[in-house]
Amino acid sequence: MNQPATIVAIAAVTIATAIIGARGVRIARTPDDFLVAARQVPTLLNASAISGEYLSAASFLGIAGLAMLEGLGALWYAVGYAAGYLVLLVAVAAPLRRFGAYTIPDFAEGRLDSALLRRVATGVVLLICGFYLLPQLKGAGLTLQIAFGGPQWIGVIVLGVVVTLGIASGGMKGITFVQAFQYWLKFTALAIPAFALLLFFQHPPVANITSATPITFSHRTTVSFPQSEDMSVNANVWVHAVGTIDGQARHGLVELSPGPQIVLAGSKLTFPGGAKAPSVSSPQLTAQEWNSPLLRLNGQPDHQLAATYGILLATVLGAMGLPHILVRFYTNKDGQAARRTTAFVLLLLAFFYIFPAIFAVLGRLEAPSLYVSGQTDSVVLVLPRIASAGIAGTLLGALVAAGAFAAFLSTSSGLLISMAGALSHDIMGKGVKAFRGSAICIGAVMTMIGIFVLGISINVLVGWAFAIAASTFCPLLLLGIWWRRLTWKGALAGLILGGGASSLAVVATMLGAGKSGWPAVLLGEPAIWTVPLAFATMIGVSLVTPRAVPQDVTQKLLALHLPERVRLPNRGNALRQYPVA
Amino acid sequence: MKISDPVQRETVRATTPRPTERTPFPARDDLYQPDAYGRELLSSLMRAQAGASLAVLLPAITLIALYPLLAVLIPRLASLQVEGLPLALLVLGGGLYPPLVLLGYWYVRRSERLEQRFVELLKEQ
Repeated sequence: MNQPATIVAIAAVTIATAIIGARGVRIARTPDDFLVAARQVPTLLNASAISGEYLSAASFLGIAGLAMLEGLGALWYAVGYAAGYLVLLVAVAAPLRRFGAYTIPDFAEGRLDSALLRRVATGVVLLICGFYLLPQLKGAGLTLQIAFGGPQWIGVIVLGVVVTLGIASGGMKGITFVQAFQYWLKFTALAIPAFALLLFFQHPPVANITSATPITFSHRTTVSFPQSEDMSVNANVWVHAVGTIDGQARHGLVELSPGPQIVLAGSKLTFPGGAKAPSVSSPQLTAQEWNSPLLRLNGQPDHQLAATYGILLATVLGAMGLPHILVRFYTNKDGQAARRTTAFVLLLLAFFYIFPAIFAVLGRLEAPSLYVSGQTDSVVLVLPRIASAGIAGTLLGALVAAGAFAAFLSTSSGLLISMAGALSHDIMGKGVKAFRGSAICIGAVMTMIGIFVLGISINVLVGWAFAIAASTFCPLLLLGIWWRRLTWKGALAGLILGGGASSLAVVATMLGAGKSGWPAVLLGEPAIWTVPLAFATMIGVSLVTPRAVPQDVTQKLLALHLPERVRLPNRGNALRQYPVA
Repeated sequence: MKISDPVQRETVRATTPRPTERTPFPARDDLYQPDAYGRELLSSLMRAQAGASLAVLLPAITLIALYPLLAVLIPRLASLQVEGLPLALLVLGGGLYPPLVLLGYWYVRRSERLEQRFVELLKEQ
């Protein structure tokens, strides 16, 4: 599918990003500028930047696609992603800013006086960010493939190079403007097509999603299969087939009978208008199942309440543990500014997350071909062109493609900054050169890994990052800020046990363990047990190692909680390890 | 050192010199003392702040966690329609956000007032 408008739009986003990012080069001179943009970013700009950094491929494409496939219950992901900022606001934002550390490893060492804990925390940062970065690269590969055709690794390399060069040259000052710009770009790129599709283009009445009739093709539709699919046919239907079905090469009219049929990659099936749409992998959900407010894990109605709570726990608590988000809180002037910024972020996210729901509903009504070909993840990208064959559909399609690319660009930038910051501070030495070197090294390595993991699902990797963050940094931050008796030994044990258990659970899921029932829920949504495990470990081990409580724990708690204006000079920031240039 | 010099005389005191003598927060140094009173003062600040946080978190958790629970307990609620649209779409697609945002703004204002009161407290003694 070669779409000149889409190519122009993606190129425009990339160039605009480079220009806005380059504006920061003149300002960024010290490591401090690079990492925290000199801590003078106004509230709305900072809130837009945090939102821009946060809204990744999972939010822009994934939620709408998952909700279209597995029903409205998948919208709990969006609720959890947004509600995470309420927890961040009331429990973490102001104390973390007041403490005056740059990164989570800084916080861990400054609060608990352990260089070992710091190194383990750095490892967890690289783990979380790494597994969050890969799906962004993969998303870019998919988007560019839809626009340009050709292999996916081209998109991976394009994104890797743009992001790496942007960060190695501009640091975070430039990136703050870039991220803010990209929030509004992403917002526009979903809002305009959503309203246009809803209000100006013909579509079946929205109330149809509650009717019991199965999903049908409203007109003659050709479905392409980019990959082989196990298609499940609901009722006899005559299709015009080009390709291979159930091992037989077909070219012409074929009658499909109910039951599973294997369609090989590259096949095309043309369905007549009014035909019931077959579905892929699992049977099509009825209207009642689709409208249920409970999450269906892998499309199955197993232990839905536990699965829903598992996702909520991971997303709500995982948001605070994302290293690339937390580093942004140091760009606030003081603790109270950090609170105002976070409240603003919540507002911006709430507005944004209305649109994935609209796309999911319209996708179910208008694009049943995506169920057939198993491509529901691309609903946001292809719906404008499905709804309108004319110039309007093409332009709107180009707009969402640009927004999607902005999502990959902004989140990847934030992740790369965090990884480069962690690596340069803790391993490669301080200074601008080390930061640049780290950024280039990590960018190159991650791009290469990105090429080799194109087969792994976006949702699995993003889910893993959130589950690990919720099981490691969430208890470290909450207990470190609010509990005097936390020790470095307790924190270390909690990080290792929580991070290890959640990682193993998701690896087991990826390797195919736990297809249904409780194993599927406990391995696929590990947060429901690994988060309590991490909290219990940190508290338990801390209580039996009371001697490891830092001697000056009162000073540290004062640094966390005392409003800036009543601090003793030179004491409030005594824990800061790097001088502000 | 001339005793008659009033400025110099002020520096000769039995207590340890306080670097922040002229700041408007006479009680601040108590916070930094390792005694029980300083610790209690800090604890009271942390308790007040944690209280404000819980006053936001508990309603938010109830709000979010209640709907899936009710949908399991009362299956009719899971397939309820309002004005021809599924209730789940109205709640998950936007309905939950306004109360969450309002709770967030209420917390920002409350924490601001709370810290202002603590600053006043330090001014008093």
